Amino acid sequence: MNKVKTFLSNLLKKDATKTIVTSLWCALLGLVLGFLILLLINAKDAAYGMTSVLGNYLIFSNPSDRLNYFGQTLAKTAPLLAMSLSILFSYKVGLFNLGGSGQYSIAVIIITLLGVGLNLPWWLVMIIAIIAASIWSMISGALKAFFNVNEVISGIMLNWIALYLTNGILTSTPSVWDSSHSEAFFIDSSSKSFIPSIGLDKLFAGNQIVGLGMILILVIVAVIFVLFKKTTIGYELKATGFNVEAANYAGINKVKNILIATAVSGALAGLAAVLNLQNGFTSWRLSSVTPEIGFQGISAAFLGGLHPIGVIFSSYFIVHITEGGSMITDLGFAPEVASIITSVIIYLSGFVAFFKEVMRKNEIKEEFNKMSRRKESQS
Amino acid sequence: MSIVLKIISFLLAYICVLTVTAFGGMFSEKSGTVALSLEGSMTVGAFTAGIVMYLLPSSVPDGLSAVIVILTAIISSGLYSLLLALACITFKANQTLVGTALNILSTALAVVIIKQVTMTEALPVGNSRLSFMRFYEIFNFDLFGLQGVKFNWLVFIVLALIPILYVVIYKTRFGLRLSSCGENPASADSLGINVNKTRYIGVILAGLFAGFGGLLLITMNAEWEFANGASGFGYLALAVLIFGQWKPLYIFLGAFIFSLFKTLTIIYQQIDFLAVLGISSYFYLALPYVVCLIVLIFTSKKNVGPKALGEPYNKGKR
Repeated sequence: MNKVKTFLSNLLKKDATKTIVTSLWCALLGLVLGFLILLLINAKDAAYGMTSVLGNYLIFSNPSDRLNYFGQTLAKTAPLLAMSLSILFSYKVGLFNLGGSGQYSIAVIIITLLGVGLNLPWWLVMIIAIIAASIWSMISGALKAFFNVNEVISGIMLNWIALYLTNGILTSTPSVWDSSHSEAFFIDSSSKSFIPSIGLDKLFAGNQIVGLGMILILVIVAVIFVLFKKTTIGYELKATGFNVEAANYAGINKVKNILIATAVSGALAGLAAVLNLQNGFTSWRLSSVTPEIGFQGISAAFLGGLHPIGVIFSSYFIVHITEGGSMITDLGFAPEVASIITSVIIYLSGFVAFFKEVMRKNEIKEEFNKMSRRKESQS
Repeated sequence: MSIVLKIISFLLAYICVLTVTAFGGMFSEKSGTVALSLEGSMTVGAFTAGIVMYLLPSSVPDGLSAVIVILTAIISSGLYSLLLALACITFKANQTLVGTALNILSTALAVVIIKQVTMTEALPVGNSRLSFMRFYEIFNFDLFGLQGVKFNWLVFIVLALIPILYVVIYKTRFGLRLSSCGENPASADSLGINVNKTRYIGVILAGLFAGFGGLLLITMNAEWEFANGASGFGYLALAVLIFGQWKPLYIFLGAFIFSLFKTLTIIYQQIDFLAVLGISSYFYLALPYVVCLIVLIFTSKKNVGPKALGEPYNKGKR
């Protein structure tokens, strides 16, 4: 029993545990606030609405429907996971990637033109889309490295430029543009550009949007985890993020690392578009605001404690409640309630560092009390 | 002739939207807090004012209604910016993160609440677009009696603010104290200035100004789609603030350049030689942002921003 106790108290002292505990608190508080908003809007149906948001696919009684929508939720997690890795990667190097939406849009242009328009093989489309997004992101990196332009501002400007570029190019290409629905044509499952399902669809009641992409993203999570944990280049990247001046003094090339970080984070944002479009799930809709996923990626990255494993869970959670949110429209709630919940959660995750600090201070106090008690009993 | 007046009216309105919002951002950033949430504050000011404009019965006299609407816009966004102040100043949170969260939250709140307000038996989920023709007439007047050329009189309030703010920032004790908290909070503290309190004031002022900017933005039209938030004007204002180098006069000039290109996106089809070129409308829409990036390249090399911008003040590190 004592052993368990010491094990638990040691576990609580670990930094990772603290991050998990505080992140869970943030998620819980966000949900409570979301529930309060539902109560204010429509008290009668609030409880059922919240159950739908939280339950998502679980509210279906038919098991094959459940499996189907579970697969859909998983498949929609993959792009968000890619986007949150993009945010995470640049953040580790001390850059805030607010340009994720723009990088995503640029990849969308390539995927739609090459995939829908030319029907090229899926891997070729994927690679070109990722390279394009990566180059777009490096504009921000180059401006930062050579002209000292704040990457947050340039990222936002590039988001809007990419938005209009995407709208302009896609709407003026009749072979890919479905003008009656003001959206691009979808990549359907018979297309060569469709990411193969490699039999995974059988696990999810034949839902074909589940496929190779999900395995791909998990491999990338593992690579990023190892990169930052075990390799020299990962260490150098982190050092630049921690203290640019000190890293520079230690002979780490700042310019090179900024360019690498923006290139990789752009590539990951491009991958998000690949995973969203090349399974035939969505296509580009004519829009006057930048794609939401770039900002959702920020929520997922921070809620996941900026850890490659943590963001798997936070991305799933955010997609889960967003999907659940889309089911409550017939109760008279706007689906954007889910968006309120996620933004409250990101807001609260800003407090995580503070709460971790409080927990640490309490521990020191406890240690101190213990020591002084021991001293008293000795004398 | 009317086309020139039309250009001037749009130009003036855009300049004032950007200027007043960037002025708000200036108070926040000069005191040391990054003003990324300007977009969110504008959205909150705009949508609360929008709801009041939608619901206020026409029996309320025009002048009183206008005052109520203006007060709603600035007070609601002032209160909203308290969320930023609480997280970033008291709890020392990451300012970019919290700013982003508040921007997303503002649009989500706007859409959810407005859909609730516009919900009817026939339209059970509601609509995120509001129209307020009566207030469009109240806030805009015809100059020279020309059809289709409207001037928003809120712009004159903004124009009057420019010299006042110049004096407040550079000549008053409050302005100098505010700047000192963004430049060197430790020495400001040692001189007996309450750094956190001053920063709270800076952030709240940013909220008040941005709310006014949001109201001005939506009353340029007779209706507004709130799913678009403030259409990115808050971000533009932040860029204007940066390449205006945190100085009132430069901010005004920056807003002028920017508004020129923004106006072009609306008006180019009515200018003969531009319409003939047949360039895609998306080119004109992207142009202001491209210009902004280019200007930033030339103005960012020398770092002239407040030195302690973005750093929470920690007394223990003094």
